[in-house]
Amino acid sequence: MVNVTVDPLTRIEGHLRLSTEVNAEGVITDARSSCLLFRGFERILQNQDPRDAALLTQRICGVCPTSHSLAAANALDQLFGVADSVPKDALVARNINQALNTIASHATHIYVLWGPDLANPAYRDVLTPLGETGTAVWKELLGRFAPISYRLDGNAIPPGSSYLAAIPEKKRLQEAIAVIGGKMPHQVTSYPGGYTYKPNIADIGKLSSYYLQVMDFVSSYTLRVPFETWIENTYKASSPQKAVNFVLEHLQGLVDSSISGSNSNNFSREAGWGDTEFYAAFGSELVGETLLGLPASLKHDRTGGYSDPSKINFLAYGAFYKTENGDGYDPNSPAGDRFQTSGIVTGNLEYKNFDASKITEGVSHAFYEDTGELHPSKGETNPVSDPDEIRYDRGSESRYTWSKAPRYEGIPCEVGPLSRLLAMKEPLVTGLAQAFKDNGYSPANTYTRMVARIQEIAIIANELLKWVTVDYDPNGKISVHTDLSMAKDSEGMGLWEAPRGALGHWVSTDSNSKVVRYQPVVPSTWNMSPRDGAGVPGPLEQALIGSKINAAENALGIDYSNPVNILHIGRSYDPCVACAVHTIDLSGKNAPKTLRLV
Amino acid sequence: MVIGKKNLVHTLESMDFLNMDRRTFLKAVGAVGATAFLGTYKTEIVSALEFAETKLVWLHGAECTGCSESVLNGGNPDIVQAITRLNVNLAYHETLLAQQGLFVDGKPVNSSELNSEILVDELIEEGNYILVVEGSIANGPDGSGRYCVIGNRTFKELFSKAAKNANAILAVGTCAAYGGINCADSAVSKVTDYRGVAFTKEDSSKGMVQELGIRKPVINIPGCPAHPDWILLTLGAVILGKLKIPDDLDTALDRYGRPKVFFPEDHTVHENCPRRGYYDRGEFDTEIGGEKCLWKLGCKAPYTHSDCALRRWNGSVSMCTQAGSPCIACVEPGFPDSARPLYVEAEDKGLFLGANIDTVSKVAVGASVLAAGVHAVRRMKGDD
Repeated sequence: MVNVTVDPLTRIEGHLRLSTEVNAEGVITDARSSCLLFRGFERILQNQDPRDAALLTQRICGVCPTSHSLAAANALDQLFGVADSVPKDALVARNINQALNTIASHATHIYVLWGPDLANPAYRDVLTPLGETGTAVWKELLGRFAPISYRLDGNAIPPGSSYLAAIPEKKRLQEAIAVIGGKMPHQVTSYPGGYTYKPNIADIGKLSSYYLQVMDFVSSYTLRVPFETWIENTYKASSPQKAVNFVLEHLQGLVDSSISGSNSNNFSREAGWGDTEFYAAFGSELVGETLLGLPASLKHDRTGGYSDPSKINFLAYGAFYKTENGDGYDPNSPAGDRFQTSGIVTGNLEYKNFDASKITEGVSHAFYEDTGELHPSKGETNPVSDPDEIRYDRGSESRYTWSKAPRYEGIPCEVGPLSRLLAMKEPLVTGLAQAFKDNGYSPANTYTRMVARIQEIAIIANELLKWVTVDYDPNGKISVHTDLSMAKDSEGMGLWEAPRGALGHWVSTDSNSKVVRYQPVVPSTWNMSPRDGAGVPGPLEQALIGSKINAAENALGIDYSNPVNILHIGRSYDPCVACAVHTIDLSGKNAPKTLRLV
Repeated sequence: MVIGKKNLVHTLESMDFLNMDRRTFLKAVGAVGATAFLGTYKTEIVSALEFAETKLVWLHGAECTGCSESVLNGGNPDIVQAITRLNVNLAYHETLLAQQGLFVDGKPVNSSELNSEILVDELIEEGNYILVVEGSIANGPDGSGRYCVIGNRTFKELFSKAAKNANAILAVGTCAAYGGINCADSAVSKVTDYRGVAFTKEDSSKGMVQELGIRKPVINIPGCPAHPDWILLTLGAVILGKLKIPDDLDTALDRYGRPKVFFPEDHTVHENCPRRGYYDRGEFDTEIGGEKCLWKLGCKAPYTHSDCALRRWNGSVSMCTQAGSPCIACVEPGFPDSARPLYVEAEDKGLFLGANIDTVSKVAVGASVLAAGVHAVRRMKGDD
């Protein structure tokens, strides 16, 4: 058994360590996910004015600040007793803000954080021996996805075309957020009872213009089939089967042309291979090799899956207010209440309603004294402050992370685009998950996780246009009255979705309207979770265990020094470690050696 | 100074940056922003490869990656182009580079082309780089720094090693400059003991370089996040030899290590606030969602020394007060404590922004008040 550790896993937010045990066949038999940084965040809100939360909790994460500010605003809406009266146009403005943040964050993940691994030299070694087709595919991978400052065999490699084109688009999307959010990162407009800024006609014009410019990028790089055609035949398809069939037929046409037809071994964008088409075909063994008849694939559907479906759920809290409901919303996010609904989908793809009271967090493998499994609104933990106790090399039985272990009815949950699109029964992703399950693959794997992220950009972009041009009324009301006296002895729960998954903030106040507890439970705490009290590993850990470490299922044998599948699997969750680790309070009795989590 | 800047903007087209003295140069780039600056420089920079390659080693401590996100919003037309034109070698950056830490049975493997830990050690060994720090540095628990461990070593240890061999240090964002949100007041902050590079809050004896006994020139570019112009223009000035390190730092930086051109001692956000007209007429919002002055909603712009209101954010499309949200003084060393509660009038708070800057702030507010006229003053003090 060989220990293969990636530390730090770069190109994510924050500092993450993935430590694995790998057997002689190159298969991971054990894995630990360690969050390496402890900031002590919510403590700073205690005894403070609760209204500060929407601005200050954004500083948890500079990649998804909008999501934190909106989860906080939701919690504050309930705390101030105004959730049922927030004006519709404030809800639309919040939707627009989040939609832009989600698209920007996904695009950054796909092109800047995740994409560069497709230019890993392991793929050169796997593909180029396969002749002209393999060489052409490698040329596309390197030419599109190579990152900045990249070197191979001592030679400087210029940044990839898609990578380079994506960076100004990310900048443009941040600009769009600033138009209605003041600035980005850390926009400023979320506030209990509404929104601090009323976007005017000129702002709406600007947003529409930004939208069109971003769609230019999408049609030039990301998706070569017309956007409307794609939406009509996938997201709006009448059944999951039809959505999958549309994509397969579209890809088959490209394959026929580029493998044996007039575009022989031409996999360029000009030949119709947008980044989506390219990855959809070559990323998967089932889709690419079995169904389309390609000579090779990256086999990402063979990695990052779950071997025991009874030990995993897919969880969504729900996001984006339904604007047709008018003013106000239900803070409990019941099924069907939001554009992206809340829901639980089991490892076997069965559907259940979501109930926030069934969430618990445990700390048996984190650097805290054990207090059992508690609901976030009651959470208490005593973190270690003995430097010698903070160690990451003592194995899976030990404490090895600063992340707690959240569970839903005791079961680890994957959160993020895949979970959201399953929960809302998005036809393409639902159909793909089912197809993988029917063919003996895990429905969740590195490939479906990435396809879901790409597809989510499309469906949110589609909805965004409606919110901007149809639903928002620049003459509408943007806020309702709130003052501190309305937040006495109160509680609030803010359920929302960050780009990387379900995000909840819980707040309670005393008779002076000061914060008693502030507790976020964030997406990466779910995904990067360590083992729980029963020894069940977290989602990322489960996804690593059973996967082979090297490119294309160890096609060229085992190379412990370039474990490319650990990189793919880890990054496919779009980890945010600054988010994952949070919350401490000093316990009066044991200070200063013991800290308490509130 | 403000009027001078405006004039510079108008005469931008005719200016020859390369022949300017440093003071004028800094004023000019301060006013025009990175986009115009790099655009104007394009010919010189492309043709003049006498600018030797400048190596950057960018380290992340306790941070939210917001400043890296922010710098991706900079440049003309984008950051990759900007660093290419300035001949910057972004040699190490955890969020952007291909590499990651790779260990087999505890030992680093592969080469610096894939292993970030080998890469960063090689770069430090070679020296001759500018160290950029994003995020604050854990000193706790008990001075061990183990609240932040990356690649089997504490961030404190990595920072120490990298700082010793650096030509200069750029502390980007309020966390790196002053500790920022990680140092927000709480019983816990004493245990985690987070530090800025050369300051912790207003205290220049508590920076991590002082703790480690390292003497290096440090430039602070605070802000939560730092504005991409502030970062790129400072780098540009250093690279083009217009801001000489360390000779010019005494005159170019304020007492908190910030370039005065972006964080002027005699200028606050309030002076160019888009809502300033309402303030001058004594018209104040008391509920969010309005269009008037935000003073009564807790705005700290009169205490905040930055050019946000001139420069604005994200392609100059907006800024905090324009979007109806009070300035929270995120560029000041005491942030966030000095600005809390964020939505309560600063007058109610008593001492503000720490003992040192309090006097300065009062002077600044005094000057604003004078400009506003007696009428507005009476309203601001609640006599109306």
